[in-house]
Amino acid sequence: MFRMPVEPRKNWQQKAKDFGFTFHSMYGEPYWDESAYYQFTLQQIEKDLEDPSEEIHQMCLQVVDKVVNDEELLNAFKIPEPFWQPVKDSWKNHDPSLYSRLDFAYDGSGPAKLFENNADTPTSLYESGFWQWLWLQDLVDNNQLSRHSDQFNSLQEKLIRRLDEIAKHYHTDQIHFACCHDTIEDRGTVQYLQDCAAESGIEAPFVFIEDIGIGESGRFTNLKNQEISTLFKLYPWEFMQREEFADFVVSSDTTWIEPLWKSILSNKALMPMLWKMFTGHPNLLPSFFENELHLCDHQKIVKKPIFSREGANVSIFDKGETVLEAQGPYGEEGFIYQAFHPLPKFDDNYTLIGSWLVDDKAAGISVREDTSLITQDMSRYLPHIILG
Amino acid sequence: MTRKRSEQINLNRMRKHFSPKPLAIGIASVFLAACADNRQEATIYTNAQDCVNDNPEQAQICESAYREALAEAERTGPKYNSQQDCESEFGPNQCQHVQRNSGSFFMPFMAGYMISNLLSPNRYQYQPMFTSYSPYSSYRYRWIGAGGYDYGDLRKRNYKVRPDAFKPKPAVTRTIKRGGFGSTVRAKSSWGSKSGTKGGWGG
Repeated sequence: MFRMPVEPRKNWQQKAKDFGFTFHSMYGEPYWDESAYYQFTLQQIEKDLEDPSEEIHQMCLQVVDKVVNDEELLNAFKIPEPFWQPVKDSWKNHDPSLYSRLDFAYDGSGPAKLFENNADTPTSLYESGFWQWLWLQDLVDNNQLSRHSDQFNSLQEKLIRRLDEIAKHYHTDQIHFACCHDTIEDRGTVQYLQDCAAESGIEAPFVFIEDIGIGESGRFTNLKNQEISTLFKLYPWEFMQREEFADFVVSSDTTWIEPLWKSILSNKALMPMLWKMFTGHPNLLPSFFENELHLCDHQKIVKKPIFSREGANVSIFDKGETVLEAQGPYGEEGFIYQAFHPLPKFDDNYTLIGSWLVDDKAAGISVREDTSLITQDMSRYLPHIILG
Repeated sequence: MTRKRSEQINLNRMRKHFSPKPLAIGIASVFLAACADNRQEATIYTNAQDCVNDNPEQAQICESAYREALAEAERTGPKYNSQQDCESEFGPNQCQHVQRNSGSFFMPFMAGYMISNLLSPNRYQYQPMFTSYSPYSSYRYRWIGAGGYDYGDLRKRNYKVRPDAFKPKPAVTRTIKRGGFGSTVRAKSSWGSKSGTKGGWGG
């Protein structure tokens, strides 16, 4: 695994415009960065990232199976009590899941270490599934890269197939897609999933989360007052379960993507739970609930809110002293602690690998760089290739 | 050797803007649409008797399709909180009051129904039709589908329609309240120093 400078495509910004990739730069800062790429060997991809991702996913499912049957754990995971039974029901019914992203620290050798699981609302999907695919295609066509270059990225293919399976599972030919107002990144992610759904022949209307209504029929409605039967929501379960319409989540009889049981995985309490059940697993970092901190004999630890996004409110402690802290609005539900493991450094960049799963199949990776040890939402996205 | 990446991607699906403007493509698609004519004959009747008068042999189908269209009208037709809102779109005395367990609403009367394949008892298709007599409405004296599609002038009864005209329309209800999701985002966004990032509630 190494970082290789490369000439950006001359016309890439025009191309981004043509394809509707509107968030490649924000407030003058680059987000999509094709001035370099990461190169992996096939062995690194398959042995160190693909296989562990599928294995960890199976371990995560074992955690779900344990948590849904244990009120104490449901409490520790901060699932509001009215949702205990619905979460359990969605798990027992095998409600199908669409996708997730596991974040790893990996430097090309040794076991990749799992930082967290974004199992409910992962983004950077469009950049991964489509945009970096197109980049590779273009560079091979321009003879800038060998024709033998490949990429670990079957995301789009798998998303299209999986959406089709989910629609058939629920006997529907329509899925509504939703995200919040004023987030062009989330809107881009959702538009991408709408495109994938349309590719499988599914009708894919859009509605903003804030515009969703509750109808006289008891079902949720879009702005045309049409009932929403199946909803993909790029909006975290832990928010929805605490908002005014939480009461209707179950009674509205809506089919949810991601399903309710995903609220156990998109939760940092997953990390200490994984460590408890699979202590010493090579891909796991020692992690602890707040009340088990005495079990942690590591000098350097990371404190993460049970619910947070994009590194917000994460802090790093060394012998009890705060050495690095990211601000944010999270933390009221409590924290977990994870043994500190540095992100590998390539040139001046800290590099984080996102490993995608569609349902339970590893489907590709994304590479993000940040100048800080805590990867936040202004990190940069770089493409990757497999060669050798 | 198997590839680790998607075999192919439909770039046309992914393209959002064209540069330069594809005049040629526009013409081609119009041309294609005109050629690939899979439209079918459909007739609009104002009620079951109207249909029977025209098709005495098919009286039973006329009547069952009418009943089914009425039910479909209630399920998929437009719904309003007040009689005034409904009448300003559909005209005076054109709206009915519907009472359900959880509340009530106003919706236009079904003005007619579109029927196709009338001669085959198992394959006939129907859709409820509405019309407006309101001078304030662009639907005035037009045949309107439940989804708001304008089929044409009220005097015209025979149409050639695409097969998807008969696809069941999504159920429509009266929305009691909106905005019950999204409050956490409002609260978290008001948290100061994060302005200037590209934002998003995914992760």
